[in-house]
Amino acid sequence: MTETVLQIPISLEIPIGPQHPALHEPVMLKVYADGEEVVKVEINTGYNHRGVEKLFEMNSFYKGVFISARICGICNTVHANVYVRGIEQLLGLEPSPRAKYLRVLAMELERIHSHMIINAIMAEILGFDTLFMLIMRDRELVMKAKEILTGGRVLADYYMPGGVRRDIDDVKKDRILDILKKIRPRLEYYKKLFEVDPTITNRLVDVGVLKPRDITLHGLVGPIARGSGVKTDVRAEDKYEVYGEIPWNVITRSEGDSLARMLVRWDEAIESLNMCEYILTHLPGGQAVVDERKLPRVLPLGEAFTRVEAPRGELTYYIIGSGRDRPYRVKVRTPSFHNIINSGFSYLGYSIADVPVILVSYDPCISCMERAILIKDGEKKYVSLRDIVNMKRVR
Amino acid sequence: MSLWSEILKNVFKKPVTIEYPKVKTPIEKDFRGLQYADLNKCNGCSLCAIECPSKAIEMRKLPEDIKLKHNPRGLYPVINYPSCVFCYRCVTICPVNAYITKNEYRLATETEKLLSDTLSLQTLKSGGA
Repeated sequence: MTETVLQIPISLEIPIGPQHPALHEPVMLKVYADGEEVVKVEINTGYNHRGVEKLFEMNSFYKGVFISARICGICNTVHANVYVRGIEQLLGLEPSPRAKYLRVLAMELERIHSHMIINAIMAEILGFDTLFMLIMRDRELVMKAKEILTGGRVLADYYMPGGVRRDIDDVKKDRILDILKKIRPRLEYYKKLFEVDPTITNRLVDVGVLKPRDITLHGLVGPIARGSGVKTDVRAEDKYEVYGEIPWNVITRSEGDSLARMLVRWDEAIESLNMCEYILTHLPGGQAVVDERKLPRVLPLGEAFTRVEAPRGELTYYIIGSGRDRPYRVKVRTPSFHNIINSGFSYLGYSIADVPVILVSYDPCISCMERAILIKDGEKKYVSLRDIVNMKRVR
Repeated sequence: MSLWSEILKNVFKKPVTIEYPKVKTPIEKDFRGLQYADLNKCNGCSLCAIECPSKAIEMRKLPEDIKLKHNPRGLYPVINYPSCVFCYRCVTICPVNAYITKNEYRLATETEKLLSDTLSLQTLKSGGA
């Protein structure tokens, strides 16, 4: 790395992060700048590694449901959903239609508040702190709806193989519908604000432009791909749970800049709101709650591969059953892993002040993506604990 | 003059934020908060301690003066609230539905809320075996 940098006549190395006022996640961007222009970006991670995949192997697969939800705080229901669907594939369980609707409701409520928080953080990064406060205030309404549905403001712990863990009655349904009615005008207002306000548009338009070719070449997923006109959405491709029955559209934009990515998120939040209202008005009857005492205790031999559209993009789990009460292996591949590590090319040519803006427009979730895999020169290398100890000694 | 009136108005005005200890945060009745075992029902099977994802439950021996017919082993679960993640796995897995759930979320303020043993032993006095 150092040799190539020395070829540039005048370049300044600026470390941004892992703790920095302009970043809300523990990631380190080593920016090499020629004057104001960024000429090279190195992305260093590893500040938030917790060994979650090993925890899955050491605990029973029911404990894994709760461990998977703790990988990421903001997208905990999607992690739990995709893990539970993998376990259901292995066990051969099928949840009831009502349980499937309620699962989608929890995930879509989470998508609304996840998209709201990243737009609030974008406003904060731009220096528009009032907008940050306003969006966070309105986000509390969604958190309240989630609390009514699942019993937890942030961590839902709502999923269990074979169904969900608590049901809603008509009173709760009406209360959630009332809250959704209050949120709709606010979402539309913020979307319009992001479209017309010069404070926002001057900083975001034509910053961090990604062409569709870049998206496919570097494997970027989620709202980033959809902001560049690549129509990819696991909800539409797999039609898992009940996404095939609910009317909804895949949102795409063709501009490919930071503003397009944020506007895709606002449009998706409104689309999720429509889906939530449809679910609550068309909720089928029947039993949704599963009796956890009667579930099987052994995970059979076999493998399961499931994927889900998290707020940040495609999230996949690969589970190998061992014939015992704990899985042999659980592989988690999160969307931020692609979107952050592969996106170093997109900062080049922009000024240093644009670097936090471009990073936040990718919606980084570092606690999701920390994995002990080194990808170097195209070949994959798994790092054992002993290797990590040895590395420390050498340095 | 208008400046002074503005200053006086602001000095005596209430803050716009919620005054938390005076005004209670609105919380749902079935919010996943503090939970503890009702010893009138608990039979000491230890399933909650085995199933706890965060290993927050420890099975302890009952005090020697307490003998319960439905609890031959004399064990009862004690939850360590600082390590509890409030997933309610213990509540849903319990074969005799022995857990009492509350929406109490303010657990960092009082030292007696660190462990659930006092709350659990109180259930014996109030209900009777």
